[in-house]
Amino acid sequence: MTAFAQTRRELVIGMAGIAALADLSPKAAAQMKARLVVVGGGFGGATAARFLKQLLPNASVTLVEPDTDYYACPFSNLVIAGLRELEAQRFGYDGLRARGIDIVHERATDVDPVAHTVTLGSGAMLSYDRLVLSPGVDFIWGAIEGYDEAAAQVMPHAWKAGAQTALLRRQLEAMKDGGLVVMSVPPAPFRCPPGPYERASLIAHYLKTRKPKSRLLILDAQDKFSKQPLFEEAWAHLYPGVIERLGADDFGRVIAVNPAVRTLATDFENVTADVANVIPPQKAGEIAHRAGVADMTGWCPIDPITFGSALQPDIHVLGDATIAAPMPKSAFSANLQAKLCATQIARVLAGLAPEPTVLANTCYSYLSDDAAVSIAGVYTNEGGKLKSVEGAGGLSPSGSDPVIQGNEALQAAAWFRTITEQTFG
Amino acid sequence: MQAVSAALGVVTLALLLAGCGSVPSWPDERSAAAIPALDHGATLSLACSGCHSPAGGAIPSLEHRPAALIRQSLMDYKAEADGTTVMHRMMHGYSEADIDAISTYLARSATP
Ligand SMILES: Cc1cc2nc3c(=O)[nH]c(=O)nc-3n(C[C@H](O)[C@H](O)[C@H](O)COP(=O)(O)OP(=O)(O)OC[C@H]3O[C@@H](n4cnc5c(N)ncnc54)[C@H](O)[C@@H]3O)c2cc1C
Repeated sequence: MTAFAQTRRELVIGMAGIAALADLSPKAAAQMKARLVVVGGGFGGATAARFLKQLLPNASVTLVEPDTDYYACPFSNLVIAGLRELEAQRFGYDGLRARGIDIVHERATDVDPVAHTVTLGSGAMLSYDRLVLSPGVDFIWGAIEGYDEAAAQVMPHAWKAGAQTALLRRQLEAMKDGGLVVMSVPPAPFRCPPGPYERASLIAHYLKTRKPKSRLLILDAQDKFSKQPLFEEAWAHLYPGVIERLGADDFGRVIAVNPAVRTLATDFENVTADVANVIPPQKAGEIAHRAGVADMTGWCPIDPITFGSALQPDIHVLGDATIAAPMPKSAFSANLQAKLCATQIARVLAGLAPEPTVLANTCYSYLSDDAAVSIAGVYTNEGGKLKSVEGAGGLSPSGSDPVIQGNEALQAAAWFRTITEQTFG
Repeated sequence: MQAVSAALGVVTLALLLAGCGSVPSWPDERSAAAIPALDHGATLSLACSGCHSPAGGAIPSLEHRPAALIRQSLMDYKAEADGTTVMHRMMHGYSEADIDAISTYLARSATP
């Protein structure tokens, strides 16, 4: 008999035992029909809703997400560079609905952690036994002087995918050959640490193949950056003379912009761009602040085993909004955190203690249309914090081996298909 | 699919049991073992399903592989200190016990 069949048999016995029990207490009934509300239908929230429903089929699972179309950020840099269509980034919620999840297309405007309620844009309220928040990031408008939502229509951030992605692509397409593209990178922490440098690589690819007299300047508030040796090696090798980067030590940090004339100001100089991509400083999505789960840093401290908020009971926080370093703010992380959180919620509802485990992350970055590199990490979540396992993880090998980098590009594409299937089902 | 839906039934039932306040619930280890989707191996394996799908392709499917085979390849990744793939870099961080639990779970959970 397999272990599983054995389990099955024990259950059947258990089941007969239950028949003999008195009626369920109201508390028991409530637990079976636990009201689970998830706010945010991105990589963290959609995955959480899916796995909560899968593990707890009798619970009511409601996913609150204002948009009917979700545009995935991973691979959106390929769209900007003209190597992929935006349509390939679009996902919907029919798959989750078919799994029995209630999808409410509204914005959550408030959370009352004491009353256990979520207020929606329409004024309607949802009551929850447990709330999962995965609102992603919001931008700190005004942190760069002059950079507000109106400025983003002229100098796109393209750091939430969709219309902004399309806008940046159109601007590159409309730019004359010989133009100057400027990217502004914020201080850490921000969504997808290697993302700006993948974007720089792919914009350089576009310039080299379509507008070879053009240049890309990266004005960077960071000194060091994710996968730095691999990116710098690739830039020298694939795009010599195309990319220039000024780090924080070289006065690269942008402090003000003027969208009327498309200038970016550092402490040292004013640069006029033909196309400007301003990635603003970030914080946890606004609803996390309303719910009282964000701290002074602007991000949300969590228990690393359950992803329960360190500040409010019965609220879990996932993905980019959390303080989960050394785990990066990635779609891979958000998806795994969601699956773990759903598992731990199911354990608790089943009367079991939450259990520590080993977590991992992999992020691929494209260097060109057919080459990619990766970073991996392995983490433990015992002792109240996430910790990198020493001797594990790290970068793809340097040396620009076309076979290795070609394989990683294929693996990246396979990863995208799987992670989006895992999330939107 | 059978294994999955059976596992779901198990969780539902566990909930039912946990809910019966006056009835003594199962001791922890036994309950955990009775809920395959929530056990240690299943939880560890959540990290695999972000990349590996039954569709296979550039990232191979893990379906229909005996536990011994999965275990051997994971142990090989772990042992090859100069391996360059993502799997090498990750397996260096997993213990032999983790690898045992993962291979057992993955072999058990494959779609029939
Ligand atoms: C250019 C770029 C490239 C990237 N590439 C990769 C990559 O290759 N690999 C990788 O792993 N990651 C990548 N990422 C990172 C990845 O996109 C994020 O880490 C991931 O989306 C985080 O998931 P999340 O659930 O935290 O937030 P999101 O996916 O942003 O989801 C948040 C959702 O919450 C909703 N929401 C917000 N507020 C409310 C509210 N009040 N009420 C209701 N709903 C609300 C939003 O509408 C949104 O749908 C990239 C990011 C960028 C910008």
